[in-house]
Amino acid sequence: MQVYLWLKAFHIAAATTWISGLVVAGLAVASRLARAGIQTAQDPYFLEAVRRWDRFFTLPAMLLAWALGIAMAMQAGWLSSHWLMIKLTIVGALLALHGVLSGTLRRLDRGADHPAAILFYAAPATILGIVMIAILVVTKPF
Amino acid sequence: MTAPSNMAEELSQLRRMRLVSVVEGCTLLMLVFVAVPIKQLGGHAIATTIMGPVHGMAFLLYIWTLIQTVSGADFPRPDVVRMVVAAFIPFGAFLNERALRRRQALLVSA
Repeated sequence: MQVYLWLKAFHIAAATTWISGLVVAGLAVASRLARAGIQTAQDPYFLEAVRRWDRFFTLPAMLLAWALGIAMAMQAGWLSSHWLMIKLTIVGALLALHGVLSGTLRRLDRGADHPAAILFYAAPATILGIVMIAILVVTKPF
Repeated sequence: MTAPSNMAEELSQLRRMRLVSVVEGCTLLMLVFVAVPIKQLGGHAIATTIMGPVHGMAFLLYIWTLIQTVSGADFPRPDVVRMVVAAFIPFGAFLNERALRRRQALLVSA
């Protein structure tokens, strides 16, 4: 099989792992936001489990997705394509969102209880980003 | 989490951020002072073809770790602005490493 197809297969697998981890982190923060100020029983191990998953799976998956994506773009000669520039902008925004969510999880795990309200929309924003990326990559409109 | 474990966690995060800063700074030095001269003077483009993406990945990890670090702790706003700006200037990562080392020392002495 061509090297490109191997790169593509592992890129998709890594990106899927990254995005699913991002959605889980977004939902964990949103659930904390939803019950801010309400005294409810909290699972002390849940945030820790999400953080551990983030560190050992989501972050490496993100780096692997970037590395394989760059390798694919170099091999296919897409580096000057406009659709790729737009895709990279969206992926850069997802990277920033991931950093904010990961930092927020760390803060919540230390006992803080008021994450930024806008993070309530982190999971849907992630899905919106991945939908836009899928359209750009499949149709390559410009 | 208890206060001592919070402190250990914060120190560990600062150590990670310092390590990533040094790695980012070193890959930039290797790109600018080793790979580029090899390409320009020796005509071996493979040097930048390898070091370019390596530095790119180190830069991405640096940006991600920076965002994670400032999102997870109470950094003064001017410090955050300085660290973000330093991320985009050559050798800024080394300046951040020194600032983080000072913050780490302050945390230990507090």
